[in-house]
Amino acid sequence: MTKDRSTLLHRIQAEDFVLYEVALYLDGHPTCKKALRYYHEHKKIAAMLKAEFEEKFGPLSIYHNHSEQNWDWACGPWPWEKEAN
Amino acid sequence: MWTYDKKLQYPVKIKNPNANYAKIIISQLGGPDGELAASMRYLHQRYSMPHDKVRGILTDVGTEELAHLEMIGAILYQLTKDLSPEEIKKAGMDIYFVDHTAGLYPVSAAGVPFDMKYVGVKGDMIADLNEDLAAEQKARVTYDNILRMVDDPDVRDPIKYLRQRELVHYQRFGDALRIAQDNLDEKNFYAFNPSYDK
Repeated sequence: MTKDRSTLLHRIQAEDFVLYEVALYLDGHPTCKKALRYYHEHKKIAAMLKAEFEEKFGPLSIYHNHSEQNWDWACGPWPWEKEAN
Repeated sequence: MWTYDKKLQYPVKIKNPNANYAKIIISQLGGPDGELAASMRYLHQRYSMPHDKVRGILTDVGTEELAHLEMIGAILYQLTKDLSPEEIKKAGMDIYFVDHTAGLYPVSAAGVPFDMKYVGVKGDMIADLNEDLAAEQKARVTYDNILRMVDDPDVRDPIKYLRQRELVHYQRFGDALRIAQDNLDEKNFYAFNPSYDK
């Protein structure tokens, strides 16, 4: 289980990269079963990691502000800041 | 529609600000082969594309280019953060600073503001996809040139990542062109097809 923000974020970035990369491939090769299987394997891992991240460090998407007390979405650090990476 | 993912596609963490590097890297923000031009090119070409697969490739590559625009923004932001007026002057960045301070304004390295004239949308799948293949190679060369002039590993790392994405996008546009050509009149298959534009 990952605790550190940047370590967890880097794992999400790696998993999202895998998903995006295979998605671009699938756009041109939509009947490739192997690529589609690969996409689904990593989709599960990415979703799990994002749920853990958002629980601990706040929303990655405007649709995932889980707190009913606070608007965490607009709290820093923002992605372009060193501290966010 | 688009929504924002509150993270960079690939980490940018630069320890040492450097206005000299920012001066050249800004060309990938607002220059002729930069990420803004790339995203605008693909996201506008897609409307007139006749095939689903090619529409998908243009939509998704175009969207990824917006993520790259943000990475370039993060690199420039971190390279110019907390610089003193003396450091800005010494790097020759004063001519940018006077108009934009440390704000990010999309210009080329030579100071020419971003222009849609860099972008071709011909409304013809063969013409547009050939433009896209060339655009990816031109962006790759610009990243090669940046890598020739930048030593800091903190800056080189995300630049190398972006360079690599140009190669992958070139491959994907190769797929797109193949799909476009496969759907031409089979009796007259290759790149030129008089039966296409009827």
